[in-house]
Amino acid sequence: MTGYLEGVFVLLAINIILAYGAFLPMAAGQLNLGVAGFVAMGAYIAAYLSNEYAWTPLAAALAASIATAAIAFVVAFPILRTRGIYLALATFALGQVVQATILNLNVVGGASGYPVSTFLGGGMVGAVALAVVIVVIALFHTRLGISLTAVSDDEIAADMMGLSVRWLQTVAFTLGSAVAALGGALYAHHFSFVEAQNFGIMASLYIVLYVLLGGTQTVWGPILGAAVFTLLPELLRGSASWRYVIFACLIIAVMVFRPQGVVTTGMLRRLLDVCRPRALPQGGK
Amino acid sequence: MTMASPILELEGVSKNFGGLKVIDNLSFKVMPAERVALIGPNGAGKTTAFNLITDLYRVDSGRIVLDGRDITTVPSRKRIGLGIARSFQNIRLMPHLTVLENVMIGQSAHNASALAMFQPVNLFPGNRWRVHAREALGAAGLGQYALETTGALPYGIQKRIELVRALLSEPRILLLDEPAAGLNPSETEELRQQLNETSRRGVTLIVVEHDMHFIGAFCQRVVVLNFGCKIAECSPHEAQADPLVREAYLGSDEELGQTHAA
Amino acid sequence: MFGQQVVNGLMLGSVYALVAVAFTFTIGILNFLNFSIPGIFMVTGMATWAMLKAGVALPIVVVLGLALGAALSFLVERFIFRASTHSDHYVPLVGSMAFLILFENLVLIRWGSDLQRLELPFADTSMRIAGLVIGIPQVIGLLLAVGAVWALAAIMRRTRLGRGLRTIAENPETATLLGVRVGRVVPTVFIIGGVFTALAGLLFAVNYQQVSPFMGEEVALKGISAMVIGGMGNIWGAILGGLVIGVVETAAITWFGARAVDIGVYGLLLLILFFRPTGLLGGHAGERA
Ligand SMILES: Nc1ncnc2c1ncn2[C@@H]1O[C@H](COP(=O)(O)OP(=O)(O)O)[C@@H](O)[C@H]1O
Ligand SMILES: [Mg+2]
Repeated sequence: MTGYLEGVFVLLAINIILAYGAFLPMAAGQLNLGVAGFVAMGAYIAAYLSNEYAWTPLAAALAASIATAAIAFVVAFPILRTRGIYLALATFALGQVVQATILNLNVVGGASGYPVSTFLGGGMVGAVALAVVIVVIALFHTRLGISLTAVSDDEIAADMMGLSVRWLQTVAFTLGSAVAALGGALYAHHFSFVEAQNFGIMASLYIVLYVLLGGTQTVWGPILGAAVFTLLPELLRGSASWRYVIFACLIIAVMVFRPQGVVTTGMLRRLLDVCRPRALPQGGK
Repeated sequence: MTMASPILELEGVSKNFGGLKVIDNLSFKVMPAERVALIGPNGAGKTTAFNLITDLYRVDSGRIVLDGRDITTVPSRKRIGLGIARSFQNIRLMPHLTVLENVMIGQSAHNASALAMFQPVNLFPGNRWRVHAREALGAAGLGQYALETTGALPYGIQKRIELVRALLSEPRILLLDEPAAGLNPSETEELRQQLNETSRRGVTLIVVEHDMHFIGAFCQRVVVLNFGCKIAECSPHEAQADPLVREAYLGSDEELGQTHAA
Repeated sequence: MFGQQVVNGLMLGSVYALVAVAFTFTIGILNFLNFSIPGIFMVTGMATWAMLKAGVALPIVVVLGLALGAALSFLVERFIFRASTHSDHYVPLVGSMAFLILFENLVLIRWGSDLQRLELPFADTSMRIAGLVIGIPQVIGLLLAVGAVWALAAIMRRTRLGRGLRTIAENPETATLLGVRVGRVVPTVFIIGGVFTALAGLLFAVNYQQVSPFMGEEVALKGISAMVIGGMGNIWGAILGGLVIGVVETAAITWFGARAVDIGVYGLLLLILFFRPTGLLGGHAGERA
């Protein structure tokens, strides 16, 4: 693989992981505008473990992911008490606080960034991304998956059916933060440098937006969203800013014409019907 | 047992909304396996009574007793696990789940633990819970809709799916809020058969309904509400003759005794 | 020393206050968190610099700047808010975030990422009162902010437009039944919000004599904290919140250094959301269960 292609491939892998980090809470009906804060936590914790304790990159990434999950689990309690606009604001504020805190932490370089001593190759990043995709997709084919959708569709009815809405939302938020942190850790070890400036509100917005672009109704949406976000600009070339302009226009167009995202449950079913010509309505057994 | 004890008992239950007394000191008892109708003109508080029994709203005062146990402070989520399931007046199925997935949500009542969340219900077609839900749909004559999303299905079908979902929680008491509303006569008949079957299995039924023909044919007893107060408790036949009940319906936009000519 | 800090804080606070009014106004009436506001703030700031550099006279710059803010905000209404009346609740929020990205990157393409300095002959005129140095442009800014909110409050109380807006805030469905022409009134919410945002952008550019494509995310986003502190939907609260944030920030810079400020500003936002989500003056806590 050429260096250029590998670079694109690694970005795609990381963006897919980040997409699932934002997707998990969204699947339970919650927008996390502070997702980049969890990415930053994962990146910095993993980098710190590698630099200071000479952990291997994968062990550091895993530990960072677990540590971030623990933090997310604790903050989930006050955060998830809020809802709607208040939840959006609280997650936004949380992300800002995390970023500002890291910028003031001199042990990890503060505002001048933090070099990472060990390196993780693109192949490994891809393998982890594949594992994340498989695990999340499998998870969404369990009772947890339908329960999360139920909660996002109708919290009251879900509660009446015996589901613990708060618990499910906490699980989704915590799992999502763990996945986001894993993405951050891989990023840090592949690019060997982290800078908290890159993990602010704009980063959260990009992640949330490309997940919504793909659609949050199915587990396949985030892959498509991440792919479009990563690959489309590469095809178009031009300066970074032009890519974002096109991306923003795309989002606006999607929100106007197809607000439920590109991949919807209805669309998946139609696709399946096309692939399986025998799928005529069958009588009940 | 010489004299069965009630399975559900409301004792002096009241509920206010912004100063308006919507349920006023309501008391009634329901016996195991009984079929009771809750009737009254629009706005009488029937849906609110169901909302209180299921804790969608918490009572302001009074007690709710299930099988001799005071459940007034048991949170909504846990009541279905105690055996109280319901359907909604305005259908509340999950629009982004398939019919099969919707009814599998009904299994959550006894099955929402952390471990149960890992059941691979959509990964393997032979999964025990999935098969069970499919059978329940099939038994209700809804098997062909299993893999469709609920949104596009006809109203009557959706109502019956909601019923199957409630039944999969293995309820002891089933609260049905206007189950026959919007159904055509043949759908109503199918519903009645489904409810008969449910009742035969020992499930207690409390039904809010306007169709007196349906109630007369199906229920053993009616509780009549007006402005949140119980104004009568008698047989369906007596209710139709009761002057107080007739008066309650006067001036409301419905007629008591409206029937679908069979 | 302390008195001087309060004075400086109030000047910065009047910028936050104006942005907070724009945020709080759209939330109060439409229950819509409009993330394009920081973008509009930044575009007006940059446009102010560009126009002054091109030799346009200040009064014309002000008029054109306000018009630009109103126009951009109107654009957001047309593309996002209007189109998403019947979609999921997060759609307008997400669409407005896309506009923030769009505005920021268009400015980056046009003018690059550098910090730009404004040359203003009168910028340093100041007066001394009781040993405090008070900049004339900053006093004018503060007066403008309070005056604009006062005018807005008067519009809300006295005019037909105000009554219409209040009816929509109460209940958008019944507003139509009550004869409010929602289709005509809603765009004015955006135009008013755009004007307030643009005023903030102009004020910031003139007072601090520097602008950058990142001033939206760095400065205007703090208006969100100001809005929540004052109570969402409460325009006088927004002024109070803006001034509080301005003073706290100025004090924090001297005591803890510039980089610690954001922890305080956003930490405060987080704490208020947790413990007193209706803010100091109380707002409508519409969406809290
Ligand atoms: N959440 C609520 N808030 C305020 N009023 C309510 C609420 N729910 C029900 N009500 C009022 O309570 C009364 C009874 O309503 P409901 O129980 O739905 O009547 P029914 O089902 O008998 O037609 C009505 O006047 C209704 O407006
Ligand atoms: Mg009702």
